[in-house]
Amino acid sequence: MTQSEASDYDRLFYPYLFEGGKSSLEDVLAQVRSSTLDKSRDLIALRRKVLDSMQDQILAVGQAMARAFTAGGTLLAFGNGGSSTDALDIVLKLGEPPWPHAQPLPALALAHNIAMLTAVGNDVGFDNVFARQVIAFGRAGDIAFGISSSGNSANILRAFEQAHAQGLLTIGMAGYDGGKMARMEAVDFSLVVPADQVPRIQETQATIYNALLAVVFSSLNGEA
Amino acid sequence: MTIETEQSELRAVIKQHFELNITVPEAFFQAEAGQIAQACLAMARRFQKGGRLLSFGTGPSASDAQHIAVEFVHPVLMGKKALPAMTLSGEISGEVGTPNSFAHRLELLGRPDDIAVGFSAGKPGAAVLEGLEAAHRKGLLTILLTGEAGREMAGLNLDFCFAVPTIDPLTTQETHRTVYHILWELIHVFLEHQGLFEK
Repeated sequence: MTQSEASDYDRLFYPYLFEGGKSSLEDVLAQVRSSTLDKSRDLIALRRKVLDSMQDQILAVGQAMARAFTAGGTLLAFGNGGSSTDALDIVLKLGEPPWPHAQPLPALALAHNIAMLTAVGNDVGFDNVFARQVIAFGRAGDIAFGISSSGNSANILRAFEQAHAQGLLTIGMAGYDGGKMARMEAVDFSLVVPADQVPRIQETQATIYNALLAVVFSSLNGEA
Repeated sequence: MTIETEQSELRAVIKQHFELNITVPEAFFQAEAGQIAQACLAMARRFQKGGRLLSFGTGPSASDAQHIAVEFVHPVLMGKKALPAMTLSGEISGEVGTPNSFAHRLELLGRPDDIAVGFSAGKPGAAVLEGLEAAHRKGLLTILLTGEAGREMAGLNLDFCFAVPTIDPLTTQETHRTVYHILWELIHVFLEHQGLFEK
């Protein structure tokens, strides 16, 4: 970087960019490499903390899910943005479990019916896109599995209220302090990743839901 | 089986999954952090020239292909620059040999300055490999995120191949998520200092 391209801000906060001309690209690469390692260490520390503090809770949720599936329940998964792709991931793994001898389990990803999502969003409002589908598909004994990093997404909270009223088992995943989700009576189980960086929250939520799936399939195969 | 035995076996299942997702990323990032930094630089160069990211994957990896696209276009951190990214694992099946194949889509949509990111949590199938091959022919930067079973693909025409050292597809996918989050987080370091990579 030449001196003329740099702002005063750059000079103040990134002094290494202006030291020794030619080597600065290597310096930044080294910085990015070390930042990559820092981020992976943060993640590992968070996963250790969650394993230590939430193992009993994960076990209880996994067993409740296994009971609901045994009784014929279907899982309805929902989330916004990246969390909608978590919901899809869970549904795809339930439908094609990556464990030997595991039987597929019924599940729906509510954000992935685009006609439904856009119809309800357009006609009634985005806060209702999941609740409307809970009304349509949810039966007592089914599982409502909602994911929100903040724990405050209005459409997720509304879907939980609706699901609870219809007698579904309600399970929420969130980060930070769990937001409103963690304080709702309508949510039977809240799994809260105690962190405030969204990428690390989502990465640890993936470990939790994969562990839940492992518990579900182990527990259903348990008698065999 | 008694309730106590079942409880302790299921506890072990949880512990084993978490421990795998502690030891595998530990080894992976230690080995690949330098390559990840190089990938951030190469991707930043493409974005700076107006390139876009095109992502694709099959099975559960389709969810990662969707996740990476939304990450770039709609950043979770306020103030981060939005970067153009789209997934091919949305409205099409990606089925090989049809007009809906990833390869065909990349030929239609891809531009030489773009970035192709293929995902495979197991042994990469034809859909993803042919997609990356088509992308390479058009001059796109090509990146494969795979697992141990895909490590041999590093010999193909790939600019970057990140193979997570495990055959467990769940752990592979979880580490992929961290890789693309970190790529997204750190590309901005280069973009915020564009003068750096013009030399």
